[in-house]
Amino acid sequence: MQLRNRAAYGFLAPYLLIFAIFWIWPIISSFWMSFQNTRVNPWAFNPGMNWGRLFSDPAFYNALKNTMIILVIQVPVMITLATVIAVLLNSPLLKARGIFRFAFFAPVVVGEVAYAAVFRLMFNLDFGIINKLLNKIGIPSISWFAEAPFAMALLIIAVTWRWAGYNAIIILSGLQSIPEDVYEAATLDRVSKFKQFIYITLPLLRPVILFCVVLSIIGSMQLFTEPFLITNRGGPGGGTETLGLFLYRQGFASLNFGYASAIAYTMAGLAIVISLLNLWLGREPK
Amino acid sequence: MAELALKNVVKRFGNYEIIHNASLDVADGEFVVFVGPSGCGKSTLLRMIAGLETISGGEIHIGGTIVNDVEPADRGIAMVFQSYALYPHMTVEENLAFGLRMTGNPKKDTERRVQRVADILQIKELLNRRPRQLSGGQRQRVAIGRAIVREPQVFLFDEPLSNLDAELRVQMRVEIARLHKELGATMIYVTHDQTEAMTLADKIVVLRGGNIEQIGAPLDLYDNPANQFVAGFVGSPKMNFMSGAVIEAQGQTITVALSNQGNVPITLPVENFEPRIGEKVTLGIRPEHFFKAGQGDADLTIKVDVAEHLGNTSYVYANVSSGEQIIIEREESRNESNRDTLTVAIRASNVFLFDNTGNRIR
Ligand SMILES: Nc1ncnc2c1ncn2[C@@H]1O[C@H](COP(=O)(O)OP(=O)(O)O)[C@@H](O)[C@H]1O
Ligand SMILES: [Mg+2]
Repeated sequence: MQLRNRAAYGFLAPYLLIFAIFWIWPIISSFWMSFQNTRVNPWAFNPGMNWGRLFSDPAFYNALKNTMIILVIQVPVMITLATVIAVLLNSPLLKARGIFRFAFFAPVVVGEVAYAAVFRLMFNLDFGIINKLLNKIGIPSISWFAEAPFAMALLIIAVTWRWAGYNAIIILSGLQSIPEDVYEAATLDRVSKFKQFIYITLPLLRPVILFCVVLSIIGSMQLFTEPFLITNRGGPGGGTETLGLFLYRQGFASLNFGYASAIAYTMAGLAIVISLLNLWLGREPK
Repeated sequence: MAELALKNVVKRFGNYEIIHNASLDVADGEFVVFVGPSGCGKSTLLRMIAGLETISGGEIHIGGTIVNDVEPADRGIAMVFQSYALYPHMTVEENLAFGLRMTGNPKKDTERRVQRVADILQIKELLNRRPRQLSGGQRQRVAIGRAIVREPQVFLFDEPLSNLDAELRVQMRVEIARLHKELGATMIYVTHDQTEAMTLADKIVVLRGGNIEQIGAPLDLYDNPANQFVAGFVGSPKMNFMSGAVIEAQGQTITVALSNQGNVPITLPVENFEPRIGEKVTLGIRPEHFFKAGQGDADLTIKVDVAEHLGNTSYVYANVSSGEQIIIEREESRNESNRDTLTVAIRASNVFLFDNTGNRIR
């Protein structure tokens, strides 16, 4: 090894050590754990136990179903919304742009517990502002936390509120990388503003939007905070239990680490498959 | 049909006035070149004609109608951008046809027009490529093609060749001249390169600091510049400027001593100029207007710095140390060995004279 390389690895060593201990090792170890019976002492190798249980566990299918529903509804809604926000933020007509950018980005930096508490208050059955507003326009109060479909809707609204601005900022950077003169050329080509958006902006944003979609898919697959804090640990009655929450209950409430590891690997596998599928569907047309 | 006129056009960005009272007439089918140093407002003026910039004052007429409030799309113009501004995600064919397709032009006609343009510009084999798969010259052709497809009445070019290498620039310049002949359309062409202006234009508009300094045919500007700026801008190599002081004035003739060239005196006929003795003036003389010693009205002995022999002609760069470089074009110097000093003659009939504000005296 050349001296300069040795020095470089020397400087990298502390990081690599930490990375190996706290990243690589748990990943390998949990893979191993998923094949162990962790309900006995000492643990015993029993590959069929966790994986066999997973594929027949109605609680797993419930969590998978909930996660998929959230993913399929929330990701497209949020990305569409984020694109619209990005276009508005990019408008030359907008005054005080910096303030708006910060405002849309702010939810990401708000503490999770604080944001969850505010959502619980806002959607409270008796004195939440949302129900009051609904009453004003003649809609009876909705018990957001007691009925599963409404609780799901609440989760989707909360997650969208939290992450739409973040994605909008990423899409905005994509928008700003499109040169202005391309639009001027299109204007002189007599192409309307709307068609410019459809035929120029969207195709040129494709890679950025795809990136946001993949990020959001991964985020939704791991969804935990909101069902834990807002809908009260996946309530009502498991109606909003997600894979992330299911994993938590198995691993840290029941201390069944083998089963939790199998769930974790399933989540990661699904996230990879769905993301790859998206990248493939959204690939550049040849 | 597509004559164009600017009447006292003004452009302001906030409080800054960028274009001051520009007036200009362009005849149908004319090739007009806006030329001037970077930042003088050429692009701004062109973009105002295109409708991409609003007009702060005055009027722009295209084809006899005021277009101040007409949408860019409806002005019957097409523009070629300096950066090409091709649609990066579309093939060349789609780039050419995009505007026509979006506005519902009949399919057959769009196809015909694209084919015709591909023929004219010889880009048939590129039609299925994306812009990033093209060289600079090819992109430029596509950008020009996209303008031609629209069959506009007026073409606007904003420094279309400035991103190309020297050889390609000459080639595309010839091609644009050929296109102008073939299409017969009105063209307005912006450049900071006086060679492009001289070779392409029917009419040159020289701009400086948002003012039109002079409008005229290329050779008019060369032979008869309105002021020192135009004299220095048009012609390559540049006109030589030598500072002088009036040492004698007798009716219609004055004698000027060349202050930085050993106070050599030269007597010049003038009209309508009554100088003070000692008044500072600037003499202008083009590089090709130097003769063998004794064959003119004044002899200059100069210190040669560098001689460039180009084969058909040679340029001698001299007197840098005097603070006032002189460039001399001499066909005969090819056969001379490089010498330290050289004596050359100038003739009063070739001398331009400017006052100390740059206005032309003779
Ligand atoms: N959008 C703008 N806002 C403010 N100033 C501008 C704008 N566009 C151009 N200018 C100014 O106008 C002047 C002329 O610019 P431009 O027309 O681009 O010059 P040229 O094309 O001759 O190089 C420059 O001083 C430039 O800084
Ligand atoms: Mg310019």
